[in-house]
Amino acid sequence: MFIPHKKSLIRQLTSAVILLLLSMQTAAVFAQDDEGEIVLTSTPAKKDAIFGANSSIVYSVNLENKFDSKQTGTVGYRVLTLADKEVTKNAVNVSISKKSSKSLTLRIPEQAAGFYKVQFTVNFPEYDDTVRRVFGVDPTQIKSENSKPADFDSFWEKTLEELSKVEPNFKVEELPDSSRDNRRVFSIEMKSLGNLTVRGWMTLPNTKNSRKKFPVLLGLPGYQVDLKPMFGTDEDLAIVVLNVRGQGNSRDRIRTLRDDYIFTGLEDKNRYIMRGAIMDCVRMVDFIFSREELDHDNIMVSGGSMGGFLSIATASLDHRIKLCSAQNPILCDVKALPGKVVWPLRDFSRYIRVNRGLTMDKLLDNLSYFDTKNFATNIKCPTIMGIGLLDHLAPPDNEYTAFNNLQVKKHMIVFRDLGHEVAVFYKDYEGRWMRDTFALF
Amino acid sequence: MAKKIFSVTALLFLLLSSRAYCGWPTRPGRLIFSPSISYFTSSSDWDSVARRRVKANNGTFTSTSVNLYAEYGIVRKLAAYASLPYISYRLRDSINAPISKSGLGDAELGLKYYLANINYKYYFTLQGTAVIPMYKTQGLGYAQPGGELRLGFSGAGKLGSKFFSLSLENGVRKYFGENGPLQDRYSASFGITLDRKFHDQLTAGVSGIVSTSSFTAFTRNIFTARDYEFTQVSLSYGHTFNSSFSMFLTASQFVVGRNTGIGTNGAVALIYKIDNFLGKRVDY
Repeated sequence: MFIPHKKSLIRQLTSAVILLLLSMQTAAVFAQDDEGEIVLTSTPAKKDAIFGANSSIVYSVNLENKFDSKQTGTVGYRVLTLADKEVTKNAVNVSISKKSSKSLTLRIPEQAAGFYKVQFTVNFPEYDDTVRRVFGVDPTQIKSENSKPADFDSFWEKTLEELSKVEPNFKVEELPDSSRDNRRVFSIEMKSLGNLTVRGWMTLPNTKNSRKKFPVLLGLPGYQVDLKPMFGTDEDLAIVVLNVRGQGNSRDRIRTLRDDYIFTGLEDKNRYIMRGAIMDCVRMVDFIFSREELDHDNIMVSGGSMGGFLSIATASLDHRIKLCSAQNPILCDVKALPGKVVWPLRDFSRYIRVNRGLTMDKLLDNLSYFDTKNFATNIKCPTIMGIGLLDHLAPPDNEYTAFNNLQVKKHMIVFRDLGHEVAVFYKDYEGRWMRDTFALF
Repeated sequence: MAKKIFSVTALLFLLLSSRAYCGWPTRPGRLIFSPSISYFTSSSDWDSVARRRVKANNGTFTSTSVNLYAEYGIVRKLAAYASLPYISYRLRDSINAPISKSGLGDAELGLKYYLANINYKYYFTLQGTAVIPMYKTQGLGYAQPGGELRLGFSGAGKLGSKFFSLSLENGVRKYFGENGPLQDRYSASFGITLDRKFHDQLTAGVSGIVSTSSFTAFTRNIFTARDYEFTQVSLSYGHTFNSSFSMFLTASQFVVGRNTGIGTNGAVALIYKIDNFLGKRVDY
């Protein structure tokens, strides 16, 4: 991303003046100084900006001088940890003829395993600019410094046992008027942990084959996302989506402000909202198993952000899931988040301020029972993850602590220039991988 | 969140659905049934050194074959298949009385194993086939059992705004017994979708046989020729009516060869797919 500095300010002021003058029909001559800039493009030697151990970090930098005069200045880099601690920096002198380009190679000294911010800077008398990127070094060696709570597994065993005592009372209703894309639509309602009612949707392809069973894609929601029935032309998949408690159409008893959801009940791990939300996901797997038309051997769970977190948690606790796909899952290595992300730490701080005696350490201790990296160790099914190196909510090194804890067939797709999202390429790969695993040839 | 998943998976599925049974692994529980009919005609030959010549006395060789093919996915990596042809051919010229014969040809029974894939995009399969003569009279084949091992490679992907499928196969077949030929059977095809809904597809292909035997004499009946080779090119139009029924129309022409007739072929194949064929009925 480009962060224009003083030149940008000059440009804005100049533009304002020009607009004013144009309106007075006295334009023209003032525009000339504003037409120059030096465009910096950085390309890592490794396509996904992931470099090996014991090797230089190499970037190819291209400078395009759009000024109508020769420019002389410096081009440099500054490397920082994801917590903004400076690691190294360097700069070289460069001069570029008018209206021309120049390429140069920047070699950053080898670094320890991890992820680093890198700022490429151009400093010229008439123009400054900074391009911010992130690169990784040998990320498969990244390990969390924070251990899993000793009673993590027993905590969840007890929670699952508690869920099993709740009668699900599944209610399914077909909504013929909502049918489209040759798919039938069903609303789902069920009882989950704490006897709360949660809801979801299912769409099934129309078929004349009364023997056909549909593999299931279970889509889990992002933060405060209201999932609706999902359609598409796929003739093989049932698509089930769930609105966990406090989200979408499952906000009967839990109805928080948007920003409050993430810390609701976090002062007590047994009352934390995510404990119930994860159980809602397990209950939806119970629902899938209650349906004869669904293929119980082929269930994939998929979601992004909080949906990615829920996907990993569900696959970890319910081994009936056969495939897990998590995009930018949040809450990875939670005790290593402070100093690197604003969200959800700022909301946690707000919560602490209004709860006497509550501390950040206590919150993070409780949150470690909901840490994605801790769930990852118990997953038994193949898992795919996608991350963006510029993610400001789910930093890449945190994401890798979860990925590296997976003891199953796994695949990571890294998007070097994306933030909290994945590209279509991920969905393409995920779709092919699912069809192969479920033998939908 | 997950909306994009479906369009992508659907595209691949539909593309695959328009392909027949070669190269791809077969879905467990799926039955593929494909009746086909083909007509072959030849009025000239290549001699033993590949020189083109018109058949003596305005001779022609024509045949019509009806083939029933079935394939069933047993488990994720293994499928079984069988085919049974019924052949009718006629040899005639301006001097001699015509010779006609009809009957069942060589049945084939086999297993297909899914070997590997590249990025879930390109697939390798290995097929083992037993060839079983279903006739007693001479002329409908070698009347010798045989065996074949075939490696298949198939893939599909995007090419600009179109989607393509490709298939490469090579099989080595041996007939057992006196003068039993050893054959290399190969094929390559490249198909491209013609519409966004994958209903129509055009496929260009090359295929052929190199057959070697100690019996090297020219044989007018292509079903009993032992030492020969040919390569044919083909163009095929495929139409998918729905996910379980499609049709392929194919025209092909022999372009190079040795010691065999120069043939022109036309074929129609129907492909039915029934999922969970042996599963129990579900009350939706």
